[in-house]
Amino acid sequence: MSSQTPLIEFRTVSKSFGSNKVINHVDFELLPGEIHALVGENGAGKSTCLGMMYGLHQPDTGSIYLSGKKTVIDNPAHAQNLGIGCVFQELSLAGGLSVAENIFAGHAPATFGIVDWRELHHRAQTLLGEFNLSVNVSAPVDKLPISTRQVVEIAKALSLNSRVILLDEPTSALTPDEVDKLFSILRDLTRRGIGIIYVSHHMSEIFNIADRVTVLRDGRKISTHNTSNTSENEIVAEMIGGHVPTSAKHASDAIGDVLLEAQSLSFPGVFEDISLTLRSGEIVGLAGLMGSRRSVIAKALAGLFTAHEGVLKVKGEPVELRSLSGAMKAGIGYVPEERKTDGLFLDHSVRDNLVAASLKKHTVNGIFNTASARRATQNAIERFSVKTASQDTDIRFLSGGNQQKIMLAKWLETEPDILIIDEPTKGVDVGAKFQIHDELRKKAADGMAILVVSSDFAELATLTDRIIVVHEGRLVGEISAEMATDDSILNLAAGVQVPSQSTSNEAERSALQ
Amino acid sequence: MSLQILDKQAAPSLMSRVISACLHTRELTLLLMILGIVVMMSFVTPYFLSASNFRAVAVGMTPTAIIVIGMAILLASGGFDLSVGSVMALSSTVVALLLLAGVPMPVAVILGLLLGAVAGLVNGILITMIGINPLVATLGTMSIARGIALVLTEGFSVSSLPPAFGYIGKASLLGIPLLVILTLSLIILFDLAVRHTRFFRQIYFIGANEKAAMLSGIAVNRVRIIAYILTGVLAALAGVLLASRLMSGTPTAGNALELQVLAAAVIGGASLRGGEGTILGAFLGVVFVALINNAMTMLAVSIYWQMIVIGAVLVCAVALDMLVRRQST
Repeated sequence: MSSQTPLIEFRTVSKSFGSNKVINHVDFELLPGEIHALVGENGAGKSTCLGMMYGLHQPDTGSIYLSGKKTVIDNPAHAQNLGIGCVFQELSLAGGLSVAENIFAGHAPATFGIVDWRELHHRAQTLLGEFNLSVNVSAPVDKLPISTRQVVEIAKALSLNSRVILLDEPTSALTPDEVDKLFSILRDLTRRGIGIIYVSHHMSEIFNIADRVTVLRDGRKISTHNTSNTSENEIVAEMIGGHVPTSAKHASDAIGDVLLEAQSLSFPGVFEDISLTLRSGEIVGLAGLMGSRRSVIAKALAGLFTAHEGVLKVKGEPVELRSLSGAMKAGIGYVPEERKTDGLFLDHSVRDNLVAASLKKHTVNGIFNTASARRATQNAIERFSVKTASQDTDIRFLSGGNQQKIMLAKWLETEPDILIIDEPTKGVDVGAKFQIHDELRKKAADGMAILVVSSDFAELATLTDRIIVVHEGRLVGEISAEMATDDSILNLAAGVQVPSQSTSNEAERSALQ
Repeated sequence: MSLQILDKQAAPSLMSRVISACLHTRELTLLLMILGIVVMMSFVTPYFLSASNFRAVAVGMTPTAIIVIGMAILLASGGFDLSVGSVMALSSTVVALLLLAGVPMPVAVILGLLLGAVAGLVNGILITMIGINPLVATLGTMSIARGIALVLTEGFSVSSLPPAFGYIGKASLLGIPLLVILTLSLIILFDLAVRHTRFFRQIYFIGANEKAAMLSGIAVNRVRIIAYILTGVLAALAGVLLASRLMSGTPTAGNALELQVLAAAVIGGASLRGGEGTILGAFLGVVFVALINNAMTMLAVSIYWQMIVIGAVLVCAVALDMLVRRQST
């Protein structure tokens, strides 16, 4: 194997964004016929590596060699011409256009520039056929379920006849069945000499499919192992830098009264029959795959999405929430998933962002009290040890982890009784993650009721008291924290076993099987 | 999809299917509404159905119909161009001035079209490479182009053009004005091109999700710039044809035309969100607005009221679309 010329080779590649060195002297190679996993915590530099292979970023120093030839990859179009295809974590399909057109985006079969629709549909059908997926390829792609869209996305990368395929979390919306199909296709591809780079958080997937695994931490390459000669524990330890932190579960004896209760919330076609309770002092997880509607359900509890049927009770009183401001009056806070688009005012200062949801608190007789806002911001910066030049710095200059801390602090500033938080640690470094978890635990210990929505099941298993699992808009079970593992949640979330109306005991049993 | 849903709910009567198809295909809705206006007006006044009235309406809407092609393409790509009316006026005056200066006709016409290409190129570069918002960029070039036209002519129309220049604007083929034939040919050509050529299909990807288009290997900036150049050339062509029809270059022509074109395109199914709309739809939007104006003129409705009605039609068309969408999700 080692005598082969690598399809892609990084030689001491470094890359900085501003003063932030995200890739630091990384050597890496992908051999023909190999599936090479790339792992690391969020912010370790995986995406930047993929971006450099796909022409989105250029290395500052060091070079990239393709099949032994030093190559500058100008842009994605150039990467595709060089035989590199990529499946991104975020879906990149054009909703209104057909499945077939999306698969061949920009390079549909054509004679004299005129698209050959028959050929296009035929080829699309063939590609999807490999997944045993019978989809009407002329249907608009936004009418498909999320998991099918992800398959379309993968077919899109395969359509290019690439020699190298980059996969960034390709299974985040797939059922275990579809994952199996994907893996058998990937193995087929490697037999044809295609090299695959596989980025994933799921260790079991990596040990199932990858030949080698390279660990990145803080922009540096830590190691490359053959998967047959290493273990999950070793890899995880390398990812986070030695010690596997055993974060103490918080004392669940502080659990008190029911603060939020949903009774059969339904919105036909979106979610059905959602009933759950949140008690004071409790951290509850809401788990689901992409397309499970976990975020919409969270929004329905925060007044951002109005259910057609069902009752919502806050502290025992039925409420009708028609807006977030209404929910805030009832004592609910909501931290959105997308901090850049939904959570922060990027071109405004740390202070402006912190007080954005609690202006009233810092206003006396209609006049904004800057001094009080300053004090609050200083407190938050100290409590969360936020790294920022000053509180007047635009928040876009802060790292993802520090932005996330400010976004959480902004909602804690509103002093909610109930906090709904969607993906609390998406794209943040390990340090920030532990700090955010600690803060949430402290708030729960002080009597706050917290609902954590996450696709990171390992996070839910360590952070929460119990986990409610949703699949395609329905509750499919509940797992207590002691019984929860990454895999047990995944199986439920993927709808493998559907213990209808299960008690948590049944759910646990089926999850353990 | 939405069709199927309706089918499941009610017995799939032909009627409900037709209604649903009409609600979901803007071209059909418009076509029916256009027919409705024609039928209604033919009862109200015999002059409406006359050949001379149709000819007048058809010739009158040729500039808008030509320009709406470019605007629909830009809207589908997620952009738009406010400078079209000014570029039309500028090219009409420049061609007229060149002709007066004794430049041969084909050369003058080509230079006029080139001028449109340059205007489009400037818009495209400002928007893609420099990153100015299309609203601001084309608002600027709109003012600049109009200003140049006024400076060149000191605000007066340029007339006494060589008679041969008026041929295209006046000639007819089998009783149909050449202008109309030319415009319809362009509409058909571009409608087919946008539906079936690889180049124009890229427009929809860019409009639906610019980043995804880039990641799919589409040369986003190049496609965008070409779309702006095309729009500039079409606006210039409309200017040349207008000058030929009126036998003069008019620096004040096409005032507020950009808004009429935008309104017609949106009525025809395009959206400022990008990613949707067809040339046929946009053209039917132009026809619809032209017929409403014509009908109101025949009914002796004042020009002021006509503005109110067109505004209401625009808002209603978009509102209806929003409601249908909301229902089908």
